[in-house]
Formats: sequence, structure tokens, C-alpha cells
Amino acid sequence: MTRSVYVLGAGAHPWGKWPDKPQLQLAHEAMNLALEDASLAWPEIQGLVAASSRFEGGMGWGLHANEVVQSVAEQGIPCINVGGACAAGAVAFQTAYALIASGQHDVVAVLGAERMPKGFIPRPPGSPDDISDSDYLRWVAMGATNPAYWAIEANRRKFDFGTSDETLARAAVMMRKNASGNRLARFRAATSIEEVLASPMVADPLHLLEICPVSDGAAAVILGTQEYTRKTGRKQVEVAGCAIATGDFGDPARRIPTVSTNVLPNVSHTSEVVNAVNRACEMAGIGPEDVDVLEMADNTVWHLLSWPELFGFYEPGQGDWMLDNGKLEIGGQLSVNPSGGFLSFGEATTAQAVLQICELTWQLRGEAEGHQVPNATIGMSAVLGLGANGGSVILKT
Amino acid sequence: MMAQQHASTPIVEGLFEIVAGTPKLIGSQCHGCNTIYFPQALSCRNPKCRDKSVEQTFLPHCGTLYSYTVQRYQPPPLFRMDHWSPYALGLVDLGDGLQVMGMLTGIKLDEIAIGMALKLVVEPLYSDAEIGEKLTYKFAPAERAGAA
Ligand SMILES: [Zn+2]
Repeated sequence: MTRSVYVLGAGAHPWGKWPDKPQLQLAHEAMNLALEDASLAWPEIQGLVAASSRFEGGMGWGLHANEVVQSVAEQGIPCINVGGACAAGAVAFQTAYALIASGQHDVVAVLGAERMPKGFIPRPPGSPDDISDSDYLRWVAMGATNPAYWAIEANRRKFDFGTSDETLARAAVMMRKNASGNRLARFRAATSIEEVLASPMVADPLHLLEICPVSDGAAAVILGTQEYTRKTGRKQVEVAGCAIATGDFGDPARRIPTVSTNVLPNVSHTSEVVNAVNRACEMAGIGPEDVDVLEMADNTVWHLLSWPELFGFYEPGQGDWMLDNGKLEIGGQLSVNPSGGFLSFGEATTAQAVLQICELTWQLRGEAEGHQVPNATIGMSAVLGLGANGGSVILKT
Repeated sequence: MMAQQHASTPIVEGLFEIVAGTPKLIGSQCHGCNTIYFPQALSCRNPKCRDKSVEQTFLPHCGTLYSYTVQRYQPPPLFRMDHWSPYALGLVDLGDGLQVMGMLTGIKLDEIAIGMALKLVVEPLYSDAEIGEKLTYKFAPAERAGAA
């Protein structure tokens, strides 16, 4: 009943600041690259799922699949627009996957494109200025910025495991090193532990170079049936598992923008992402030990140290040793973010999770020029979006 | 510059109250599972709880510091504070799994330590000629009473 689904093509516009390119143009360029990669054109596309946010485009709805097809191929296909903040790309992928696996369509595209506002991300219009809105409360009552939430996690990690400032900085150095070989990354200059620790302190213990900034970018993936992937004549990249999830009650994560947490014993930290990873692994019939390459949302260096532990790749606290001993570098025991991660790209919210899947596709095909993980056969993505949205995709070749 | 004609009021209505001279955070407690939520909640969120109805309650006003950070950059304009300078934000364990974030006060930034005993206080955040003095809740060092 359920059909196997394959990545037919992947394409991405380089990340950066592109004031002269409208969001729609970024979307077109990413789609064109993905179509070319799949040896397909718009007439073959049977559905489009867009990862949407509120920042730009789509008559105020954010990137809008309808707007995209109206600008390039009005052909009556279903257009679906999904939210999920920074995890929207994973929700879009899951949606497109289901359209093909169910037998409803044979070729469906997933698209994310974003131009981020300058500086702090503004509150959404229409939010109430009262106690019922956490996002209002966290600003007016204490001025809690997003980095402050991550910094509170990082400081606790230092207390629990003795993580040093040098180890935190080393994670940023590794991301830059990986990005140096990736032409799509925005920040590609090598850095050093000294330079990271000399960058301005934003929220103790996190420095500027240890926190991901915002960027503009676009990425597209085209999914299809086995029949279609055979036609491309390329190495087949199959979707082994994919899942989206929400959080569990009692999760100890300091969830932006809340100002309190109800912590229960034995509930996973960042449970929305852990739940997605666990379900994707179950679907793929694999465990973390089988994964060669992990593309994960590194909003800060703390995420790079903690997330693989939360997913069960190794014991809590072991991330420091893994990083300090080069085990997480390209070709190490577990290659984490060979792309350079969010720290080297900057976050273009809705496009980010789609980019992760592009990167995994190139890694599994052996096409990740300049930052290739040797002999990668299984890749996993993991992403978190505001509002407790988690997503994970496992690809295999 | 103080606005004499205005009283001091909480930064957001319904956040806290001063009861017999002691500041108290206002939350909601579930009738079914006793979970306490902050700020006041529409419903209990425990998936195993079938009652879900909540009533207003006060939170414990003493706790211990679970973690913290120092905010080195001024937050965007929705946040307002007279005489801005870097300040600490703490995550305070109030018992029974309830952790509340808030500004820390009455302690030097380099003397903050995870595990320290804290108590709830209320302090002015800013004064405005139009709307008067706005108060927010903070946590300040407390004498550790009895058990650690
Ligand atoms: Zn309950």
C-alpha cells in the first residue's frame, strides 16, 4: 500500500543577504536547480508544498506555493502551504512524502525560501498585549532574547558536565572549517578558538560567533516514485524514514518564548525533536549507530554538543570528548553538519530544513564537493521550530 | 520625573500581587492533578489528566537557581528599562518541577552561582509620566532556611 519515495533532485541558492532578489526569485532559482538536478521540468510536477513563514511574500502569508505556480506554471496542481516556524521545511517534506507514499501523486516538490527581517525578529501582528501571550510577557517583564534561552541551557551544561568555554568555541570553529569547502555557506572563513572567545559576549556563556545569525536563502527538493528515480539514471537516494512531532508534557527544555517550565522526571529534553528522530529511526529500521552523517539545527554551539546526546548517539556529557577529539568532524565517527550548519549559513527559517535534505542527498550521492563525508550511506536531519515543532528525515542509498 | 498622580502597577496585569507586604506570583493550579502553571493558564496541559479545570493560585516565593545568563545586549524596544545596563536572567526552581524565569537582582553579576537560594521581590522597571511606575518581579538572594 505504502510506496517507496526517492529524492529525485535537490537545489539551493547560496545563503547570504540578497537585498536585490525578491523572495519569489530566490524560490525560482532553487526550484530550477532542483528540476535540473532531477532532469525534470514544471510540466512533470504534480504538486508543490511550500514551507511558509510570515516574514515576506505570499500576500502576507509568507512563501506561498500558489504564488510560485502562478508566477511560473499555472497547471492546476495542488499547492499546500505549511507552517512550523524553523521546522516548516520538515513539515513540508513530510507532507510531500505522504502524497507520494499514499499513491496519490508521483512527483511532488518541496520548497523553502526566506528573506529574513533585519535585527530582532518582530512579534507577529495581532498578538494580544496581555498575560495570555508568552511572547509579550517574556519581552516586557524580563527582556528575554532568544540567545538568553540557549545561554541558560549552556550554563547548565557547564555546571552538569564541566563543559569548558574552549569546547563550546571549538564547536563554532568546526562549523567554519566544514563550511570552508561549501560554496553555499555564507560564512566560510576559518576561525579559531581565540577569535570565537574574543567575539562579543551576547548572553553568558555564548559569544557572537557561537550563535547563528539570520540570512536569506532558498532550497528545493523534488520527491518521486522509484519509476521516476530510475529514469534519472543517478544513484538512488531513498527516504528511509521521515517524521514530524510535537513536544511532551514535562520536557525540561527552556522553550522560547515561555517564562516557565513544568519539569517531570524521565521526559526527554527537546522532546519534539527527539520524538521525530525516534519515529524516523523506527520507520527506517535503524538506530543512531547506523547514521554516517547528521545535519542538525545548530542555533548555537550548545546544540552541537547536546543534541546528538539527546538522540542517543552517545551518553549525556560525552559530546565534549567527541568534539575535542575530532570524532564529529567530516569523516569522524559521526560527521555532524559537514555543510557548516546554521552557524555558517545563518538561519533562513523555512528554507533551513529543506537545505538539510539537499545536503544529505549530495552527501549520499558523493556530490558534496569540498566537504564530502567518505562513503556516507545513511544521513539524518533534525530540526526544531518555535511552538514545539520537531522534524527528522533519514535518507539512505 | 516620577508621576505622582499614578500608582505603581505591575508590568502586566495578573502577573503578581503583593499580599501583606510579600510579593506573590499568580499562577493556576489544576483540580485534577495539582500541577501549577505560570502565568495563569486556560487549562491543565498534562495529557494524562482528565479534569483539566484550573483555579488561581499563588506560587511558592522561594526557590533555588537552576541556571542563568547575563544579557549583554539591550533587548528590542518592547522591553523597557530605566538606566539600562547588562543584567542577569535566572531560571529558578520553585519546587515540584516548576521552574520560572526572571531577572535577578541584589547580586553582583560575577557572584551568581547555580544552586543559590533566591526569593521573589518586586522592583520598578521604568517610570513614565503618562502611565506611572511599572513594576516587574525579580529574584534576589535569600537566606537559606533549613534544608539545602
Ligand atoms: Zn491536570
